[in-house]
Amino acid sequence: MEGLLFNVNNGYVEGVVRGYRNGLLVSNQYLNLTQCDNLEDLKLQLSSTDYGNFLSQHNGPLSTSIIRDNLSKKLYQEFQYLKKQSSGKLSKFLDFITYGYMIDNVALMITGTIHERDRSEILEKCHPLGWFDTLPTLSIATDIESLYSTVLIDTPLAPFFKDCLSAEDLDDLNIEIIRNKLFKNYLESFIEFIEKEFGQPDKEIMLNLLNFESDKRVINIALNSINNSELTSDIKLSLFPQSGKLYPLYHNQLSNIDDPEQLKTIVSSIYEYKELFNESQDNSGSSRNLEDWFYLLEMKYCKNAFTQQFTLSTIWAWLRSKEQEIRNITWIAECIAQNQKNRIDNYIAVY
Amino acid sequence: MSSTDAMSKRSLLAAIADEDSITGLLLAGVGQVSGEDGKETNFLTVSPDKTTVEEIEAAFDKFTSEREDIAILLINQHLADLIRFKVDNFTNAFPAILEIPSKDHPYDPEKDSILKKVRRLFGE
Amino acid sequence: MSGAGNREQVFPTRMTLTTMKIKLKGAQQGHSLLKRKSEALTKRFREITQRIDESKRKMGRVMQTAAFSLAEVQYAVGGNVAYQIQESVQNARFKIKAKQENVSGVYLPTFDSEINEDINDFKLTGLGRGGQQVQKAKMVYTRAVETLVELASLQTAFIILDEVIKVTNRRVNAIEHVIIPRTENTISYINSELDELDREEFYRLKKVQEKKQINAEAEEAEKAEKAAKSAKPSEKEADSEESPEEATSEEQSQPVDTTKQLDDEEIAKEVEQLEVGETQDLLQEKEDDVIF
Repeated sequence: MEGLLFNVNNGYVEGVVRGYRNGLLVSNQYLNLTQCDNLEDLKLQLSSTDYGNFLSQHNGPLSTSIIRDNLSKKLYQEFQYLKKQSSGKLSKFLDFITYGYMIDNVALMITGTIHERDRSEILEKCHPLGWFDTLPTLSIATDIESLYSTVLIDTPLAPFFKDCLSAEDLDDLNIEIIRNKLFKNYLESFIEFIEKEFGQPDKEIMLNLLNFESDKRVINIALNSINNSELTSDIKLSLFPQSGKLYPLYHNQLSNIDDPEQLKTIVSSIYEYKELFNESQDNSGSSRNLEDWFYLLEMKYCKNAFTQQFTLSTIWAWLRSKEQEIRNITWIAECIAQNQKNRIDNYIAVY
Repeated sequence: MSSTDAMSKRSLLAAIADEDSITGLLLAGVGQVSGEDGKETNFLTVSPDKTTVEEIEAAFDKFTSEREDIAILLINQHLADLIRFKVDNFTNAFPAILEIPSKDHPYDPEKDSILKKVRRLFGE
Repeated sequence: MSGAGNREQVFPTRMTLTTMKIKLKGAQQGHSLLKRKSEALTKRFREITQRIDESKRKMGRVMQTAAFSLAEVQYAVGGNVAYQIQESVQNARFKIKAKQENVSGVYLPTFDSEINEDINDFKLTGLGRGGQQVQKAKMVYTRAVETLVELASLQTAFIILDEVIKVTNRRVNAIEHVIIPRTENTISYINSELDELDREEFYRLKKVQEKKQINAEAEEAEKAEKAAKSAKPSEKEADSEESPEEATSEEQSQPVDTTKQLDDEEIAKEVEQLEVGETQDLLQEKEDDVIF
């Protein structure tokens, strides 16, 4: 049944996304990119891909940040196009995707407000995908109290602020804690939304991806807060999204660890994450590869997501893949620009 | 030469650099933000299109002449080029001015004020 | 007597000569001391310049590695962390301690890095993502800044040494090319003046002696004449009239004469001595000249 009616509403969007997916760079193309001697070469190589003449308007010397910005611009355009084509459940789903970026933007705005920064300056730095109409008004609030009671309430993020943060919290809590708390709430309600609205096999794929996202955050927070006396295990627990393979069994343990070895032991007891640390020990930079490993795992999940027909999760998978692709290209560009060719193969290509 | 007293007061690094360099330097922990007048920050982030040469000059003057708690001023070489005459004419020992490379502009020893002096001295 | 105009305005006396000689000696000593100082400083200076050159080049590499670690952060965090980091800054963790080091009497400042581990503004940065990379970049940049601080020490030393060496060299040159020649000129001027005086004196004494001889001869001739006259009585009256006069003159001249005669001898001796002494002196002077 699901497949029968899917195309009525979402067929076009899915088709477009699958088209986009075919435009993702494959390992052969990456290999070509790594052979470039300078950024001009890279630009030339990229022009034969889906990115086309993304740098055509740009004159003057190239830099990695210019390349990254222009690559991202293309992604945003594509996403905006999808959003305009969407309706009903799909547009809600897309909204949920953008909430994640909104959290970053709001955190940015709050920081800016606390430090009394120029508003236009901050707005420029906001993530385009996390843009919402009331975002600029955030900076109008001069103090935290009014920010909370008049401005934040009107943002799409209000539900995430509700129940977990009061005006006082905003004032004296570190912005990172706020950000992670929001993210936890966001992930939880996203999962709730998926559970409620999505059918199989969409639900399974999305839940898998979101659970992975939750676990990733949990592991990261646990690891990064080792030796940090400011974060008590209670606070840590409140930052862990209550989902994922580590929940609820290991959360308590994870909030109490005080060295990376313990973390390894706990995380390794989950089959999927067994290799997370094994892999990283082989290479020289032990922690450097953890992030890589997460990315790799995520990309594998995303790639699998495309194997199912009639799913909205392809959009999420595509977006994530595309983001990873931009990171990869930026990385390669960075390696070329800074003459660090020995690290150039650190990108993650699964397609 | 400054007396020991004046020297011990100079304990901070200052920086005039592009965003990436500033970020890195701040990560290292050189940043100091305070509410004191005229001492708000000890770094200036220069964005290619927005920061004017005058602003850079003003910051340079502030860090070199006005503030007395700065021991070393780090400045991106490509920014130093913009105010080269100022950098070249600054001959005091304090604060020490150090030209550093930025990510997008590799270091060019030919342009460095100090190295230029070195070469001049040895008649190369 | 080159550059006769270039000398100090002094009276050519023996005392000034001594003062000048002492002055010359002092200048020479100062010159050699300063020269040695300047050489020591220059040696150090060259060392430092070489090290600056090296570490400036090294800095290029270090900063590149550091910039690269930032790229890693950006890769891991996936977004722009720059703003977040800029906003989290509160207090300087990395401070400088300035010290002084004494090199051949010149105080060179050295900067030491001082890291306060208690302050960490970025404890929570990248908590949810990329925190490990942030910490790593922090380490890399801390090391990079340490290198920069080292370089800054060298550079400050360079600037100060440059200045000091310039001043020292200026002094050395001033002593070598102005003070010493001038003092030497003054000395030779005094010497020549003294010689001149000596010669005048010598000549005067000779003249005096000559005159005395003539006088003595004239006297003898007169005496002889008197003796001849005394034989004639007619002239006795006149003689007796004259005698007291003569007697007084005799009386007067007698002691004077003896002293004069003594003087003459002494002066002659002195002159001889002087002559010998002068030549010796001059010889010495010449030797001195060679030494300079």
